[in-house]
Order: sequence, then structure tokens, then C-alpha cells
Amino acid sequence: MTSNNRHSSSFRDPSGFIFIDQGLVKRSISPLYFEQYNALKSTGFFKKLHTAGLLISHEELWASNDEVIIQPEQISFINYPYEWSFGQYKEAALLTLKIQKFALENGFSLKDASAFNVTFHKGKMVFIDTLSLDFYQENSPWRAYKQFITHFLGPLLLAKYNGLDSLKLMNSFIDGVPIKMLSSMLPFKTKLNPFLYSNIHLLAKFEDKHNEDYKGESKASHLSKKAQLNIIKGLYDFIKKMSLKPTSEWGNYYDKTNYANDAFDQKAEIIDRWIKQLGAKTVIDIGGNDGTFVRKINQELKEALVCDIDYNAVNANHILVKKNKETFMLPFVFDVLNPSANIGFNNKERDSFLKRIKAYAPDVTMALAVIHHMTLSGNIPFEMSAEFFSSFSKHLVIEFPKRTDSWVQRLLNTKGEFKGHFDFYNIKNFESCYAKYFILVAKVAIDNSKRVMYVYKTL
Amino acid sequence: MIHFLYFDPGLGAMVIQAIVAAVAGVFLFSKNLMYKIKVFLGVSKPEDDVFDDIDVKESDIESKSNSDKQ
Repeated sequence: MTSNNRHSSSFRDPSGFIFIDQGLVKRSISPLYFEQYNALKSTGFFKKLHTAGLLISHEELWASNDEVIIQPEQISFINYPYEWSFGQYKEAALLTLKIQKFALENGFSLKDASAFNVTFHKGKMVFIDTLSLDFYQENSPWRAYKQFITHFLGPLLLAKYNGLDSLKLMNSFIDGVPIKMLSSMLPFKTKLNPFLYSNIHLLAKFEDKHNEDYKGESKASHLSKKAQLNIIKGLYDFIKKMSLKPTSEWGNYYDKTNYANDAFDQKAEIIDRWIKQLGAKTVIDIGGNDGTFVRKINQELKEALVCDIDYNAVNANHILVKKNKETFMLPFVFDVLNPSANIGFNNKERDSFLKRIKAYAPDVTMALAVIHHMTLSGNIPFEMSAEFFSSFSKHLVIEFPKRTDSWVQRLLNTKGEFKGHFDFYNIKNFESCYAKYFILVAKVAIDNSKRVMYVYKTL
Repeated sequence: MIHFLYFDPGLGAMVIQAIVAAVAGVFLFSKNLMYKIKVFLGVSKPEDDVFDDIDVKESDIESKSNSDKQ
């Protein structure tokens, strides 16, 4: 078996690479990694990690003297660190530490701790880089320690002290937020905490001091396993306890909306009926808040991607997923005005939102109470939003708040003297623009509200 | 070793780990002590958290059915 088609994201680790074969993700392992691979297999450690649900499971397809090929369980929609809420980020950090501790107890160690080795899948964070495990060398420090700090602890601290939007920094720094920058951005009080001082500020100083050692003269350092376990446990305890300031917590959104209770129920009932009629198994809810409307769908869904620009809403959804032990719900942070781009080497290491969602092709896209924000806050013409919604799924369930709706009025009033430029925002223009990309399947006005629901099919 | 081919762990980061471990050791020790005191005084309350403990439980790795395997 030969494995060409190396995936463009898979070149950093010489132990092997990912490739796509007939639409399936497979992994080729190089002889360089055979010793580790065989040990992980024969000691049963792979199996332990798989059964505990920590590492994505795989099966061996092929083994020769030159190459081993494994096929991991397929991930339907890869999501990246810059798309996670605070709670999801925490979960990914804790997972990485948990694996490292478990690995140390079994004679292995993670050779890297990149946040991109983890993704949210079937209701929880799972480690997806099977080749990250190496043998543990007695008394050696954790090589991935700094990477853990710059990929996990650092961004979490920035989110806590400098605002949740800092989590987006991973979009620019795919090798982790630089430690010197982390240290400079965090408030002074973090220097007074010995744990944070040693893990961030002192680390930044040490890195600065040692980075001119081009000759490699600094002596190799030693660290007992017990000491390393202290680092791991210390980080775990600290991160597990991390919380946000109460003011930034998720308020009850649906108490603030202008919906009467019966209108709310009617909207949920219409969505449920349409999803059933369409026989949809996969949906994406754009601007889906904490997943309220998706949870009101009675039809059994295989998977629901629920994204929102509001970190707190996504966080609230994540907590619900954990509490209800749901596996079909995939919450993530998403800004419809600026979806994640293609980044990394050759712009091909991490795929854009559009590329991933087109490949995923959900049966239905839901866009509830979002079009007025796109049109009136983002100034996106109807025609452009219609083109966007038509580009990745067959059906669109969209809610249109009429011009007289109180939210629409509020948005229009912010335009001040330019309010007149937005006269095009009306139901007639909306319908004629969307007709260029869709066929109308059904249309229902919600009683006691100024909103209309549409279900469209792409042309 | 294979990992030398991979990425730079940062020399300073390797050297500093002894200090970080010592600080963490103090924290963990005091945390355990506080916990014991709280248990002794009967003020320890069960945690309500969506996140697990660091330890992988025996029950997690006992053979389950592989029904969730695709």
C-alpha cells in the first residue's frame, strides 16, 4: 500500500503523516516511530487510551517494514482552538494534562502539547494526534512543557484577565502565544502569585536568557518523575479551578428577547416540523446561542453544529452538553462577518470555516434572528448573505424580522441620519434577493410577533 | 531520540522545570493539608463540576463494547 496525498497540515512531525484515501483520513507511520508504535500497541497503552475515550481510536490497516498505515475514527467537523469557548479550552487543556500523567505512569510521555492536537468530537474533547506519544526518559524534563504553557495556560489566562476575545490569538500564533508577549500582557497581580510567576513570568525570563545559547552549552537539565508529576498536577488543579469574572457570565438571553412565550413555542414548533419534513440528520445553527432551538427539535439528529459569536453563549451550550452528556451537539464560536480563514504554511495547515463546512455539507442551515444583524450591523446586502447561505447546504431555515420589529428598529436607529440608506431592509427585497439563490418551500408568519419564518431549497 | 527532529522545547523551559515543580510541590502539599483539615472539621463539600479528576479511573479503561467505534 502506498500513501501519497499527504495532507497539507501534516508535516511537522517526521514520525508519520496524515493522508486522505478515498475520502477517509488515514495515517502513515514511518519506521522512525516503529519502536514507539509497537510498544504502545504491545503494552496495551493505546487500548487503554482508546477505551478511556482520551485518544481517538484507530485500527491498523497495513504493516510492512517500511510503513504502517492506521485508520483513525473519522472526525466529522474538525474545530480549532480559536473556535472554542473558555470551558472548551479548559477541557482541552485538562485532557492534555490527564494524558501526560497517565502516559508517565505507563512509561510514556507526550512529546508535544499543541492545542491543535485536540478537537471537540461527540460531546467531548479528544486527542487526535496518535503519534504524539514517545518513551519517557527517566529524570528528563517534559519537552512539551513550554508548548503547553504557550498553547493552553497562556491563552486561558489572557481570556481570564484580558477578555475572552484573546482566545482568538491562536489564529495568529499557531505555534502558541509567544511567552514574552504573554508575560507582558498579563496584569501585575499575576506576578504576585508564585504559581503564575514561575509558570509564566519566570519562564519568559529564562527563555530570554537562554535563547542566545547557539552552541548548546547549557547543560542538560534533570527532573525526577515525581517533580514532573507535581508540575502536571499543579497545572491541572489550577486550570480546573479557573473561572471567569461573574460579570462576563452568560445572562439569560431569551429573557431579553422580544418574544412572547407563545410566539417562542410556535417558532420552535415550526422548526421541528420542517426539520422532520426535510428528514434532516445534520444541521448547522448559525447564531444558535446556547442551542435552545436545536434542543427543541424532536427529530433525532446525527449531529448539530451550533455556533455563535458570543463566547458566553457557546460556553453555556458547552456546559449543557457536559451536564446532559450529549454527543450530537457541537458548540463553537463563530463570527459570520469574519469566519476562520485558511492559515499556516501555504495557507493550508488549518482549513477555513467555509472549506470545512462545504465538505461537511449539513442537511439544513438554520439562521434564526440573525439576518437583521448581518444586514444592519454588518451591512451585508441580502444578495451576499443569500449567496453565503446557499454555498454549503441544501436547505435553509431562516427567520426574517420585519422592519417594524423592535430589534430592527433599534438597529436602524443606531444609523442616525443614514437610516434612509437602509430603506431596502424590507420583506419584499429580502424575498426577491433570496429567490436568486433559493426556491421557496414554505413560509409562515409567527403570530404575535413581527417575524416570518422561511424554508428554502437551493436552486 | 526521535523528538530531537521535531521542535525546539526551549532551553530555558527545560531548565526552569525544577523551580516550577518545587513551587507546584508546595501548592499541592498545602492543598492536601487544607483538605485534610477541612475533612477533619467536616466542612469539606462535594465539588459540582463538569470536569473530571486528573486520574484515569480503572472503570474507564476496563473493556467496554466498541459500539461507538465507527
